Amino acid sequence: MTPSRHVRYAVATGLALTVTACVGGAGAPSASSGGSATSSSAVATTPPSAKTPTTPPPAGDAPQGRSIAIAVKGKSVTPAPATVDLKIGETLTLVVTSDHDDELHAHGFDVETKLVAGAPTTVLLTGTQPGLYEVETHEPPLRLLMVAVR
Amino acid sequence: MSAIALLPAHGVGSRQDLPLPFGLLLTGAALALVISFLALGLLWKQPRLRPTDGRLLPPALALALDSPAVRGAFGALSLALTAWTLLALLGGKDDANNPVPYVVYVWLWVGLALLSMVFGPIWRVLNPIRWLHRGILAAARVSADFSLARYRAGYWPAALGLFAFTWLELIAPDNDTLPVLRVAVLGFILISLVLALLFGRDYLDTGDPFEAWSGLFGTLSPLGRREDRRWVLRTPLHGPNQLASKPGLLATASVMLGGTAYDGFSGETWWYTFVQSSALPARLWETAALLTICLVVAGSLYAAAALSASLAHVPLRGVATRFAPSLLPIAAGYLVAHYWSLWVFEGVNGLARLSDPLGTGANWLGTAGVKPSYALIEPTLVATIQMVSIVIGHLLGVVLAHERAVTLFPRRVAVIGQIPLLVLMVFYTIGGLTLLFSH
Repeated sequence: MTPSRHVRYAVATGLALTVTACVGGAGAPSASSGGSATSSSAVATTPPSAKTPTTPPPAGDAPQGRSIAIAVKGKSVTPAPATVDLKIGETLTLVVTSDHDDELHAHGFDVETKLVAGAPTTVLLTGTQPGLYEVETHEPPLRLLMVAVR
Repeated sequence: MSAIALLPAHGVGSRQDLPLPFGLLLTGAALALVISFLALGLLWKQPRLRPTDGRLLPPALALALDSPAVRGAFGALSLALTAWTLLALLGGKDDANNPVPYVVYVWLWVGLALLSMVFGPIWRVLNPIRWLHRGILAAARVSADFSLARYRAGYWPAALGLFAFTWLELIAPDNDTLPVLRVAVLGFILISLVLALLFGRDYLDTGDPFEAWSGLFGTLSPLGRREDRRWVLRTPLHGPNQLASKPGLLATASVMLGGTAYDGFSGETWWYTFVQSSALPARLWETAALLTICLVVAGSLYAAAALSASLAHVPLRGVATRFAPSLLPIAAGYLVAHYWSLWVFEGVNGLARLSDPLGTGANWLGTAGVKPSYALIEPTLVATIQMVSIVIGHLLGVVLAHERAVTLFPRRVAVIGQIPLLVLMVFYTIGGLTLLFSH
């Protein structure tokens, strides 16, 4: 029930940008699977040149709202899975780093993307329809968190 | 809730209900307690539900319901839907647009239960196994009553079959892919036909899992047959009260309640966190949990009935099974609470997909464009339906247990004799609300 915000916004964004910058476009996930018009969210790898790792939390063009960084090692998820509340219209930034190649799937947000071992992948989840939605990986099946949109 | 294990490309149940608000949990729990105490003090002291009760349907309507034309129309509908589903199962594409997972997990499971609660045991006239069995016997020019052996297993095959189906729906790997569904559906048809040919129609009447599923939930329908088989309108209490105590009834009712309870339980954060990171395979834990919950339901009812029997100084033999029908409205309440949104949302998505069974972009039924209504899954509405359905299930369960108690127990000890069962039902009800609240 308790919203998990184990990693603060700045740290998460900084970390994401750092590692993304290091990996570069090599493991760039195929953005927005299907490109459906109704898709409420997008998969994005931040361009390496966009910002420097030391930039404080961006204010203008960056996605608004909270950010959560999640690390997957084998079958363990850090921080431990929890239910995160999201208001309708609010955007949650997820930065997922796995130690193995995998797939990331956010049910109900039409987000499905590849995870490359060691490379943080950023996905934006924007709440549209109320409900409880699962964010999971597939190999092995792990539930990373639940998003409660209300 | 309604978390059907899914592959990436598939979509049944990707949306789940928000947790029940705490205020509704408290309201529901308080209502359950009040209802239980009032039942003890205020309800009738002599058995009151008679198998002859009910308001007769108009003769024309009753005749029509039993007419070969209406029965045949249901049969034709059943066989057409079966053939259509088999077409998609055997010839369709294995992707998110295939209708088969929707037909099996949403229509056959949730839809059939809800329809039966309203119209009675409709699977008796829709069951394709029954029609195939009848067709085979007719083709062989054998009497429709043919059987090789006498059927005496009661509800036990249904209990096992429903457990297997629940496992397939909630735990089995790749359960919405066509290879798995082909094995499940074709295997089920084959086994059912063999059992029906061996044991005759008696097997279909009680042993067939979906006949039991529809028949037992169907006892709650206001439409039913009274003792002399005439169609009547009556209370949702008369049907369960009239059920014959056959072997396996307690097990079947326990699987019906336990399966839904497991579905709620599997969404508990601490549970899935533990299971998915465990060194042992997750499915092993999940299977053990499903089995444990069903056994806890059966065991707790048995223990409560044993305690009741001892308080009332009557022999225990058969008492637990006689009280099993009072689990049915509670199971129905759980089912409505857990699957209302799945039914109104994914049931409609299934209808849209059914229009294109082969995945060719066709729209043969003209339903490809139907969209579920978001108004029906609005969170406040869903939460209210959840609380109300669980409390109504509790109310009916308590009254049924009371009627049973005053029937089975001597009058002086009937009130004290039903206390263990009331406590158990309060436990089920508050447990069910808590599962909805805390995931």
